[in-house]
Amino acid sequence: MTDIQQIASSIASIGEHLESHHYICSEQIATAVYLAFHLRKPVLIEGPPGVGKTELAKTTAAMFDLPLIRLQCYEGLDEAKALYEWKYGKQLLYTQVLKRTLDEVLQGAKGFAESVRRLHEFGDIFFSEEFLEARPLLKALQAENGCVLLIDEIDKSDHEFESLLLELLSDYQVSIPEIGTVKAKHEPPLVFLTSNNTREISDALKRRCLHLYIPFPDVKLEQRIVQARVPEIPDQLREQLVAFIHKLRDMDLKKVPSISETIDWARTLLLLHAERLEPGLVRDTMNVILKYQEDIENVQPQLAALVREP
Amino acid sequence: MDVVLTDFIRALRNADVRVSTSETLDAFNAVQLIGYENRATLKQALSLVLPKTFDEKMTFDACFDRFFARRPLRALTPESEASQDGEATGQSSEDTASEGNASGQGAAEADAPGSSHSSQSKAAEGATADDESGAAAPPDVAAAAVSSLLGQLLMRGNTMEINIEIHAAGEQVGVQRIKVFTQKGVYTQRILEAMGNTPLQQEIAALAQSPAAGNRQLGAELNRRRDWLREMVRGYVEQQFLLYADVTGRRLREDLLKNVRLASIDGRHHRLVQDVVRRMARRLVAAYSRRRKVFHRGQLHLPRTLRHNMKYDDAIFDLKWKSTRVARPRVFAICDVSGSVANYAAFMLMFLYSLDEVLPKVRSFVFSSELDEVSGLFQQYPMDEAMALALRQYGNGATDYGRALADFSSLCLDEIDKKTTIIILGDGRNNFGSSRLDLMKQLYDRCQRLVWLNPEPRAIWNTGDSEMRHFSAYCHQVDECSTLTQLERFVSGLLRYSR
Repeated sequence: MTDIQQIASSIASIGEHLESHHYICSEQIATAVYLAFHLRKPVLIEGPPGVGKTELAKTTAAMFDLPLIRLQCYEGLDEAKALYEWKYGKQLLYTQVLKRTLDEVLQGAKGFAESVRRLHEFGDIFFSEEFLEARPLLKALQAENGCVLLIDEIDKSDHEFESLLLELLSDYQVSIPEIGTVKAKHEPPLVFLTSNNTREISDALKRRCLHLYIPFPDVKLEQRIVQARVPEIPDQLREQLVAFIHKLRDMDLKKVPSISETIDWARTLLLLHAERLEPGLVRDTMNVILKYQEDIENVQPQLAALVREP
Repeated sequence: MDVVLTDFIRALRNADVRVSTSETLDAFNAVQLIGYENRATLKQALSLVLPKTFDEKMTFDACFDRFFARRPLRALTPESEASQDGEATGQSSEDTASEGNASGQGAAEADAPGSSHSSQSKAAEGATADDESGAAAPPDVAAAAVSSLLGQLLMRGNTMEINIEIHAAGEQVGVQRIKVFTQKGVYTQRILEAMGNTPLQQEIAALAQSPAAGNRQLGAELNRRRDWLREMVRGYVEQQFLLYADVTGRRLREDLLKNVRLASIDGRHHRLVQDVVRRMARRLVAAYSRRRKVFHRGQLHLPRTLRHNMKYDDAIFDLKWKSTRVARPRVFAICDVSGSVANYAAFMLMFLYSLDEVLPKVRSFVFSSELDEVSGLFQQYPMDEAMALALRQYGNGATDYGRALADFSSLCLDEIDKKTTIIILGDGRNNFGSSRLDLMKQLYDRCQRLVWLNPEPRAIWNTGDSEMRHFSAYCHQVDECSTLTQLERFVSGLLRYSR
């Protein structure tokens, strides 16, 4: 525990520790993690795809040495898959096995009313925690020493699911009709939500979260990221490569290359033993960074100029 | 310091960033954690807590920089003081020391601008600072030489004291009532007057004409300090404007725009109208983005019921009913883009395409004489450009509804089915040409809904060459649509109906 406290003692320390886990971040991101930890508020992360939204949650979990519980959202996700479900099979099995015992219990009972009364004396065993199948959200609440809960691509889920999250995010508790309210055990989880902004997240949800927008990094930061992720790459190639990617991002493309694509490309070039960027080499490996034929065709004619320019 | 934060949040709200009470509390907690010391960190922390969309973050950045900007403090430098006090050499060193002290306080003050925090404590501070300087130095010759009250205040050069005076004068003239930016000058002047600018002015004029060189010098110095004061007051008014006005003026204009006839909106307001349309559209999207299911009451879905009840040992007690997801409507918009109606078409298409989250399948057609599809343009280019292109290509021709309907039928009559909504926007003035009502009837029979929107006031329909009477026979709905409010009402109805 003290370890965690120490890591989270200042914004700079969080930044350093993230960096030691190969996640190079801007001060804004470190501030977000710092506030999330100390205010115990969920963080809603938005930004273009591939800037490391999911990665931030993963790295934070690694940094604090906490388990990561991940919930991938999709259309039609409901509480049975996200929160909890009754173990129907087990309930059924137990009723079968216990049939004889039940007979004994009910023996001699006169009439329906008395039978029911006798059954009631045993309480709602079949709807107790024994028969509760915890899904990611409930698991996160029950985690002994806290955990990092990642709710990925929240924008893909339905409105109903968003409303379901509200209670969890504001009070770190969920209400299960048969059992009551389940509260977070010791440490409430650190919650990260990511969104690609395919639709607007409701205001109610946003109000409960810190809102972090991660844009594409500037040249310097991206160079450091590439160096951290692909340390073997020669300096000259790295500089050229990042500069080239930044030029592409300024162009009018259907999908601009993201950080993850920069890293993929760096690895590709390393594999090909490239020393520096050449138009031919770029042409051959272009499909690593551009994912639409249309974009590739747009860039092709300007390739030589783009590579030559300092 | 808390007052600073609430003031800042107020300025944010004024700039259209929605900040709820719970977010305000979060901001307080964050500030307690971070502190006010490091401005960059403070900005980052607050930008996590307060603005919740990308656009709001941009507004927040601008607002933060403006609100926490350092006020100019270049006037009261020790050098100028020394030159001014040239004659009283023995005293000048004392004076510069106290002056430095004052400007130091001034810098601290500028960190928390607009801080109306307990002015009493500030007053007390100011007083003690005053007492000290009074005790340390013999009576300030320069200040004593000036007769007007404001002049004395200026010559003492205690920034804190001056700030208090500015605040008091501001309250006195009611600067909180500022509404539009043109009032900034007026309020600056009024505050200066309330502080006693007129006697000062007279004194400066008198000093400038005085025969003694020392007096003239004093007059010049006083003049310089007056200019500095004006800067201070202007900055103060600017801030009050940020806090209290800014948007009230804009909201006024927006409300006006919503109810004014679209054709008469000036070109320079188009930006603002686009903002309004976007905001209206966002509200509609929020209201209608849930997809509904319609349950057929009483129709059992046997397969699903059986499947679902298997886990209950085939005892069927949890029944499943048949349901269908309601499909989103397909909208075909046909717009007249000849001179008189083009403006309306632009706004309606803008509206429809801003709704692509709830209306993903909008196809648009424009015509004056010939008709053609322009959906591709809107997918390819931004809204303004697409509209301009469409107008340039199809806008100049005499209106011919008959021809347009014929073109439309040949283009996509086959695609019109019971899920299609057709919207025709036009004034129905056909230059006495053939109206091809047979085609109208065909469309009417095939589609789910055919709506005619006419930008002309209802009173002049059916006058002159208008064919509205005939056309409206084959429409499910006919509406007048000349203002943004009417447009919004119509689109909202469209969404509700087809949900």
